[in-house]
Amino acid sequence: MSSSHSPSANDPRLPSAARPYKASLISPQDLPVDYSGFIAVLCGVVGVMFRYKLSSWLAIIFCAQSLANMRNIENDLKQITMAMMFAIMGLVTTYIGPSRSSKQN
Amino acid sequence: MARRPTTSLWISPLSAIVLPRGSDSLWLALAVFSIFSLLLHHLSLRAACQSTVQPHFEGFGDELDEVDDSLDDPPVQLSDLPPSPSLSQSDSQTHHGPPEHQDDGTHPSDPFPAPSPSRTPRHSEFEYWDEDEFEGLPTDLPPESVEITENTTPSYSESASKPAPPKPPVATTWRSYTVEVVCISFLIAFSINYFTGKRENENLALAWAAKFTTKDSIFEKNFSLVGVGDGEDSPLLLKEGQNVFKFYASGRRYCQGLLATMELKSRHDLIASIYNMIVPCKDEISFEVYMNDDAMDQVVFAIAKKKAAKGMHKDMPDLQRFASLMSPLNSRKWVSEELSVISESKEVASDLITESVLDQVFGERAFEKYREAFNSMHFSDQHSGTHKKKLVFKFTLPKANHMADMTRLVALVPYYIDLVGRYKLSSQARSKTDAARVKAAQESYKELQNARQEAMQKRKAERKKMIEEAEATLSAEAIQKKEAKERARQMKKAMPKMKMTRAH
Repeated sequence: MSSSHSPSANDPRLPSAARPYKASLISPQDLPVDYSGFIAVLCGVVGVMFRYKLSSWLAIIFCAQSLANMRNIENDLKQITMAMMFAIMGLVTTYIGPSRSSKQN
Repeated sequence: MARRPTTSLWISPLSAIVLPRGSDSLWLALAVFSIFSLLLHHLSLRAACQSTVQPHFEGFGDELDEVDDSLDDPPVQLSDLPPSPSLSQSDSQTHHGPPEHQDDGTHPSDPFPAPSPSRTPRHSEFEYWDEDEFEGLPTDLPPESVEITENTTPSYSESASKPAPPKPPVATTWRSYTVEVVCISFLIAFSINYFTGKRENENLALAWAAKFTTKDSIFEKNFSLVGVGDGEDSPLLLKEGQNVFKFYASGRRYCQGLLATMELKSRHDLIASIYNMIVPCKDEISFEVYMNDDAMDQVVFAIAKKKAAKGMHKDMPDLQRFASLMSPLNSRKWVSEELSVISESKEVASDLITESVLDQVFGERAFEKYREAFNSMHFSDQHSGTHKKKLVFKFTLPKANHMADMTRLVALVPYYIDLVGRYKLSSQARSKTDAARVKAAQESYKELQNARQEAMQKRKAERKKMIEEAEATLSAEAIQKKEAKERARQMKKAMPKMKMTRAH
């Protein structure tokens, strides 16, 4: 930086007052609600319980949206993983389960 | 995170050329969607044609159906099928019992027992092939022999399906996969959109940073520490999410630091993008300047567009408590008609809205240029939260190649830092504001005390509960001991107090 060694009267900078950036910590309760993750879990559960194929696929789509919007890997990944497990379980029971209702659809 | 040096300057124009822009990416996604669904259609058509699995089950049904039908037909059934015609006729006859002929059953010389055996019981029909195949049996031998050899293969169902009516068309097979096709193509479009949207957001953020935070830019000239890391070559931008970027600067008189947060549209999320087509959204940048305690006097002041100003007045606790919507002053030039000012005192407002600011940004003529870009400005020393003394500026980001349009708005930031930092209230204004502040301070103190008392009461109640629970779990012995102690204590209290003196 050019003019830092002899600050002129017009130079507003104060190197002595410089403080490094400290990320503000937000407690997990204050974080914005992850709606897409919540809907993903809901759809996944519905898909598993009622063997509803569309619901399981919707759960996967909302999981993908939740993954795309994930800000903090440590905090958010648990919920997303749970939603993905539900969705995959729903799909598995629909396609590989003993009663293959998909053939007759 | 962005690097300071010149690479960012030439990366952004290059990438703006190479990558598709917002509307293009949607067309791209649609094209991929349609190509993929066509592919799947084609594949499933082929798969359906080649599959031999379906008739396997339908063959049973057909057989049963034909069995039902044939009850009415004259019985034209063979009694034995598997043995080839090379077998002697007598063998066939003896192996499978006497077929019921219309003539008497003792004609071993008959070439085939076929002509008209009566109906055999149902269970044996499963062993024999369909009678339809053998309707013309006595007259045409060669084709029958061919069919017999064919039928010795284990493909039970194939023969059954040949004369059977054609199976339902292939289209239902494809239609039954609609959900999968739609969902998988949506997922593919989603992932493509994720990468293009992410890159577009990054380009926008980098374009802003290149214009305002690199060498010889306005923030570089105003702050000694620029960037989110430590040291000389710290990264400029901090990427908190695919659409949230932060910029930090520090080292200036009157303020502790400045934090700029860019909240861009969720271009990386296809569902949010579709939602934003219905509910419009904008790329926003908000500057928060943390003022020094001694630098800011008692100022509560805000400027925003008319509707937004009403909302702000209701939502922000400090604006609601201390300030009120100001009617425009007639004595001097004032801000544009579209803006409204919220202030604690008129004097402060007119001192803060200077001539130069009116000429450049907020005046009638000047504001036409910045109508879309300017959202709000809020100075207060009573902000709720950790930092009480803050200046907050909210602007809308222009497109990546129009970043220079924002220059005057960004120039407002250091201008107001200096203005508010140097500003001292007059005595009249101060007396008015003092009264309000004192009340506010008292109220907050009372609230604190209440909160402390409640906490203490809670603790006491909890302790009582614990003691009671502990008592309840005591064994019977301990209870007796306790009661004995209590009785002793009571007796001691009841007995007259005797003074004892030493006998001399």
